[in-house]
Amino acid sequence: MISTNYLGYRLMSAAVVLVGVSVLTFGLIYLTPGDPAETILSQQTDQQPSQEAIEAFRAEHGLNEPIPHQYVNWVGDALQADLGQSYYSDRSVNGMIVQHAPATVELAIAAMAIALLIAIPTGVLSAVHRGGRLDVVCQFGALVGVSMPNFWLGYLLIIGFSLHLGLFPVSGSGGLAHLVLPAVTLGTGVAAIIARLVRTSMLAELDREYLDVTRAKGLSERIVVYKHAFRNALLPVITVVALQFGFVLNGAVVVEIVFQRPGLGTLLVDSIFARDYPVVQGVVLVTAVSFVLTNLLVDLSYRYLDPRIRLGGVGT
Amino acid sequence: MLSRRSMLAGAVSGGVAAVGGCLSDSSGRPDDNSSVSIALEDDPTADSWDTYGYVTPYFTKVVEPLIWATESMEPTPWLATGWEAVDETTWSVTLRENVSFHNGEEMTATDVVWSFERLFERGQFVSGWLHLEPENVVAVDEYTVEFTNTEPFPAFPGTIAHNMICVQHPDSTADDLGTIGTGPLTIEAVDRGSTVETSPFADYWQDGVEVPLSFEVIEDPSTRALSLESDDVDVIFNPPRNRVEPMRDDPSLSVLTQQSSRTMFLPCNLYRPPTDDARLRRALNYAVSQSELVDTVLEGIDDPARGPISPIVHWSAHDGLRTYDRDLDRARELVEQSDYDGEPLVLAVNASVVSGELIAEAVAGAFTEIGVETDITVVDPGSYNEYVQAGNAHLGLQTSGSNSAAADYIMFENFHSEGVSNAQLFEAEGTGVSNPGKAVDELIETAYQSRNAETTATAYRDAQHRLVEEAVCLPICHVVHVIAARTEIEGIDPHPIDKMVDWSDLSREER
Repeated sequence: MISTNYLGYRLMSAAVVLVGVSVLTFGLIYLTPGDPAETILSQQTDQQPSQEAIEAFRAEHGLNEPIPHQYVNWVGDALQADLGQSYYSDRSVNGMIVQHAPATVELAIAAMAIALLIAIPTGVLSAVHRGGRLDVVCQFGALVGVSMPNFWLGYLLIIGFSLHLGLFPVSGSGGLAHLVLPAVTLGTGVAAIIARLVRTSMLAELDREYLDVTRAKGLSERIVVYKHAFRNALLPVITVVALQFGFVLNGAVVVEIVFQRPGLGTLLVDSIFARDYPVVQGVVLVTAVSFVLTNLLVDLSYRYLDPRIRLGGVGT
Repeated sequence: MLSRRSMLAGAVSGGVAAVGGCLSDSSGRPDDNSSVSIALEDDPTADSWDTYGYVTPYFTKVVEPLIWATESMEPTPWLATGWEAVDETTWSVTLRENVSFHNGEEMTATDVVWSFERLFERGQFVSGWLHLEPENVVAVDEYTVEFTNTEPFPAFPGTIAHNMICVQHPDSTADDLGTIGTGPLTIEAVDRGSTVETSPFADYWQDGVEVPLSFEVIEDPSTRALSLESDDVDVIFNPPRNRVEPMRDDPSLSVLTQQSSRTMFLPCNLYRPPTDDARLRRALNYAVSQSELVDTVLEGIDDPARGPISPIVHWSAHDGLRTYDRDLDRARELVEQSDYDGEPLVLAVNASVVSGELIAEAVAGAFTEIGVETDITVVDPGSYNEYVQAGNAHLGLQTSGSNSAAADYIMFENFHSEGVSNAQLFEAEGTGVSNPGKAVDELIETAYQSRNAETTATAYRDAQHRLVEEAVCLPICHVVHVIAARTEIEGIDPHPIDKMVDWSDLSREER
């Protein structure tokens, strides 16, 4: 069982992190050079706006108010689940996030599934064949996967599978066909990271003495490796997999732009370039909240899954 | 209970089925082969479908303005048949009769007034832009609307020749399918963040569009080009410059180009040493060959520039301007004579300029040949104006052009002391950035305020001569729009303002 004290402590620390994120998000964007009034008006009219127009825009959107006052207003509204209106389109930020989030979530889940499908067998095989040719090949593959920029792999896949083979559409969203290439692009980078962790974790387990006992009992090597060592090696991997969702969200920005998926990544980048503060703040806050909540859930499930942790033993 | 073996078999079958599903839906194109898909750089669904939406009404021709821009960037009648100045500030605009909205009702003056009232709801900035207050748009009779500017504004007809200032029926809503315009296309479906499907409007008041069009966003230029090459879309705007030549060589593709109103140039900071020295600025101009830059970095697509105004603008003095043909000896001589002390010049590059970094590096290389060092700073589009207008750079690299027939503001915003590029330092320190002083200010004001076309042209011509003589900026090129299409798509008629491309003759040949 998870104690109430621990739950309270974790919720409190998550809240502190979120307050920090909100302050940083709000503060940093105001430290960034570039005036939203001028940027948005010049984008909309394709000409430099007059000073009067700029002043009018600032007044309309409360940009002349002191920054702490703007922050308090924004946080107050955010606590009531109102992230404001886009300066650029006047649309509700909540609505824009709801509209764009599914494409990103879909991509993140598919990418993580591909990553796990690649990483777990690779990591296990690499560990079991430690020092052998297979290990070298797997490790080299992981190195390539970690090093390869997402946009480059994305273009390669498009050229190969869309342009030459005609198997998948180049861009857009809407069906499984549109998801395959972006998910592979994003998933391979994550796979490389997880594969290395699985290998390390498996190596640690394979050196444990309890496996000698299982072997002495006459169990086959396959049972020893996959039933005993692998199950125990997976525990630290769970945490990293959850943390990798942050990496996936980060990578999704590039992948969404290359494949023109209408997700939070493209929304964020477009909004940053347009200096559309409410949208930038909203997307960052929602992403941070989901990241913090994911970590909270992992921590709680970790304590649930591993009795040694809740008993104050290893790993606490 | 499921055995591991059966689970594995199920997973494999599922995977095969999934891949099969993928392959059967690989093109991403509608089954209806008659629809033409057009990939844009900007999201046509990003804004609301009201009178004044940024990209939203662009390209799609669902709504239309009263006045249009000709191919030489002059205002021409559209939903209005004409306009005349009643007095110094008042315009009487006569509407075209028998123009139907998509709901079948006829467009009248009250609809125009309603549309402008709705436009003002977008923000107070609209008043400053149009020099107009909401109450100063009045329906005089069924087909006449009177506009009273807050001050003399001869550029008003040209300013509203802008495809964002459009007329809608008062029953219109800003919902995706709620727009009731007069355009040749009506909205069929909107997929936010992705596509707008349209269909021809049968009762359009002139020759309309024949085929349904689908507009979609593909922001990344390489992905846009690959989408066309893989036959995912039929038409794309602005492919990467380095893909244009291979596209020309591809028999399945055709490439169209159109000179735009936009010019790429480097404004000089006239009030910060050492670019406050005209000798150094002329030396910089002599160091650079626009033709070489266009041929090498811009793949020969854009047109080398002599001055800051595109020749497509009817009052441009392009052909009469002096040239600074590349002359390194002359340039070095001028550097020697100038106050240049060897300190690197700061060159700020607007990151939104296509191939901007490459251009800046080539320009810096040319400067090095005459003994002038350069520090290149790439500034994101949101920060660029603030950075340059605060006087942080000696040179900028940017583009400037017009989306309406009133291209006057290109001169005002860039070179008049009170233009937005200069106002900050002009008001704070009495300087400005790229405004060369009172004489040019007066010429710009004369041109801007005159209702006589000849007077305007003469004043702008004199101003451009002075700008080039004083080497106020370093012109690079006049930007050319590129549209690439599958060869079976015919009849695309580009426009200097790319959003005003005409789709009415567009057709698809049978494959």
